[in-house]
Amino acid sequence: MVALLSLAGVEKTWPNGTVALRGVDLVVQPGRVHGLLGANGAGKSTLIKILAGAIPASSGTIAWRGKPVRWSNPRAARAAGIATLYQHIPLVPTLSAADNILLEQSGGLRRNAAARARAAAVVAMLGHSFGLDEIVGDLPIGARQMVAIAQALVGDPALVIMDEPTAALAGDERETVYRTIRQLAAAGRAVLFVSHFLDEILALTDEVTVLRDGRAVLHAETATLDEAAIAAAIAGRSVTALARHEMRTPGPVLLEVEALRSPGRLAPTSLSVRAGEIVGIAGMLGSGRSELLHAIFGADPAARGTVTLDGRRVPLFTDEAVAAGIALVPEDRAKQGFVPTMTIAENIALPQQRHTLDRAGETAAARTAIEALAIKADGPDALVSELSGGNAQKVGLAKWLTPKTRVVLLDEPTAGIDIGARIDILRTVRRLADEGLAVLLVSSEFEELLAISDRILILRDGAVSAEIADPATLDEAALIQLASGTRTETGLAA
Amino acid sequence: MTSIDWRRAFGLREAGVYYALLILLGVLAAIAHSRGLPNYLNPQNLGNIAYQASLVGIMGVAMTVMLITGAFDLSVASVAALAAAVLVGLAPQIGFPLAAFAALVTAAAIGLLNGAIVQFIGINAFIVTLGTLTAVRGLVLVLTDGRSLMVERADTLAQMLAFESTRVPVFWPALVIAVALLVLGIVRRALVQIGAAIVLAILALLAGPGLAVAAPVVYLAIFTAIVWAVLHFTVIGRRIYAVGGNAEAARLSGINVHAYKLGAFVLSSVAAGFAGVLFGCRLGAINPTALQGSELTVIAAAILGGTSLFGGAGSVVKTVVGALLLFTLTNGFNVLNLGASYQGLIEGVVVIAAAAIYTVGGERKRARRPVPAEVAA
Repeated sequence: MVALLSLAGVEKTWPNGTVALRGVDLVVQPGRVHGLLGANGAGKSTLIKILAGAIPASSGTIAWRGKPVRWSNPRAARAAGIATLYQHIPLVPTLSAADNILLEQSGGLRRNAAARARAAAVVAMLGHSFGLDEIVGDLPIGARQMVAIAQALVGDPALVIMDEPTAALAGDERETVYRTIRQLAAAGRAVLFVSHFLDEILALTDEVTVLRDGRAVLHAETATLDEAAIAAAIAGRSVTALARHEMRTPGPVLLEVEALRSPGRLAPTSLSVRAGEIVGIAGMLGSGRSELLHAIFGADPAARGTVTLDGRRVPLFTDEAVAAGIALVPEDRAKQGFVPTMTIAENIALPQQRHTLDRAGETAAARTAIEALAIKADGPDALVSELSGGNAQKVGLAKWLTPKTRVVLLDEPTAGIDIGARIDILRTVRRLADEGLAVLLVSSEFEELLAISDRILILRDGAVSAEIADPATLDEAALIQLASGTRTETGLAA
Repeated sequence: MTSIDWRRAFGLREAGVYYALLILLGVLAAIAHSRGLPNYLNPQNLGNIAYQASLVGIMGVAMTVMLITGAFDLSVASVAALAAAVLVGLAPQIGFPLAAFAALVTAAAIGLLNGAIVQFIGINAFIVTLGTLTAVRGLVLVLTDGRSLMVERADTLAQMLAFESTRVPVFWPALVIAVALLVLGIVRRALVQIGAAIVLAILALLAGPGLAVAAPVVYLAIFTAIVWAVLHFTVIGRRIYAVGGNAEAARLSGINVHAYKLGAFVLSSVAAGFAGVLFGCRLGAINPTALQGSELTVIAAAILGGTSLFGGAGSVVKTVVGALLLFTLTNGFNVLNLGASYQGLIEGVVVIAAAAIYTVGGERKRARRPVPAEVAA
């Protein structure tokens, strides 16, 4: 049997020199569900984009139905029979479901009876979870996901690629997606299914490929695997050169969070962090990690509950949090972390609550930060938007390195940055804790969490589902299993 | 700050509006000379241009702050007209100072309303202020009953005229400011300030010790100086830029974004109210269609000065120069009798050309930047 799709030695190097894929081999057979797994930054998204025709591969061969191909744009890939569902459902919220499903149709008339009948047939096959004429923006998220699936299927693709289709869905909505995937495979189509959830992968897929550091490190029939084996393949050998620190005796409780909640985002959560303690937060995408940090920082207007710092209650507003000494390094650097039109010095000085400018002092502070954090830049007057991701992240951290800061909330501080910058940042975090600050660290890099945290909380579906008092007793595979293993339907339904 | 980027400081993007004004003045002077008209660049005429530009300049400075925070205010001309109507309507009863105060408070209230609707209901500023543009103009019609209002008490009228039309001798102040700017410019190594100091000194020396300008020009200069200083030397100024540059990053740095955006709306309306007070004083009267359409001139001045409509960038001094440029065009067409029908056409082309220069200059700068590493993640 000729494979539907086969990849040999596919590599991708970005123009700035970052290597995303280092030679991936992958074979997808018709009528089978193929699971694709990997940690953040392992290269899953890059691989999907190459298959969807959104970006070209740097080298290697892609064969479709046995013939080598090279798609120049997403349209070519779709025409060949590959439909891709992206994680953040790209639908037009102001149009009806039918209009969205038929968005790709060519021809002149908007009301086309034949096309509409085709859309209706696909929707009927999916089990009618929404009306064709409903406006997509009004549909619940589960139905929107089904609209996206219908949009993918209306072109009658031979291969459907799904990037975390269930991450945002609640239990019964997930079941609908699973049923649909099984139907697709039964009808002879191939499905490439990307997920963080190991239970899902085990229950749904026929075979599994695991990516790590841009390579396919495991390919096997699902029946021969268990959660532990997959988790071990995702984790791999340790690459960070971080030595595990000795446990120190942390100081008194500094940050106390009680029944902090936000409708639809965070179930009532209580936790406390001591001075000098690093508390890691492990959880998968959509588990409420960022939401928890934003709620503590007062950046979520809907959040309710109490946050106390050193016994004094901190009102849930960002300016109050900063005044009290709470700092947040947000996840999305470009959107939340810095002002692109400003220099390094100006960005670092942004949280200061004084009223007169002290340019000389700020320049000096920026110079100190550039040296202390090894920021690669022309100087304090360089624009932050001109820096690489890792260096921009260091600026985002540097702006909180003032004597006033007592609690640091870090949201994925090392995502998407190179190993050198990662170690610089983690060293700084370690140093801050040693100086008596309380640190809450969210990271998808579990080996990082294990190496640096004094305690780890596991977050799932917007609630703390477990606490690991002594991370030294745990390895990375076990942590992955805890955070993404057998799902319990607790906490929030999205 | 240790080294001066000469190419950037003198490039079209940074200094283009200054060149444009100087070139325009030069061209107009040459045309005047060739036609045997009196010297175009005499202090009297330059003072006139500044006087004509002063109201738009005052509104433009506040509009620039507004644009820097990433918002927009179309209602300024209507608010100015309302303030003028309040002033002219109340001055005979309660006297000029109180009436002027009432006019400013009225304007501030409308700014607060605009800002509250934009910030707390979340409607786009363009739509909200388009609504208040129409509604406030309607309110002016209601208040004036559709007719012109006039101040008829002689003593009040005299007070108002004194506030608006007094000529202020500015020769010595101009020289002092020029020297101060020069010193500041040298200390901070800011070429624009050094250049401004030299131009100011030359203008003052050419005009001689008798140099005097109308009061609104002085008000404009003081207002511009204050706003410029706040934007450049205070944390409030930095935060205004940050709110427009990336509101989310500003919020997550502990900045009260709502307060700054609301403040910009109030500032814009109060500045419009002050312009309205000056307008009312100028004539001692107000007709209901006064200043109609000048909100567009105000925005054009800010765009000529290189202020971005996307927020985060802009300079109040350049906005004032932009206003001077627009009124020099108008003045030149009138004084030299160059065919008034072409005036609108040329003004429009100048605005678009200026925006094109800023945009193209900006793109070239961006193209050199490295690809951010995030895309690889």
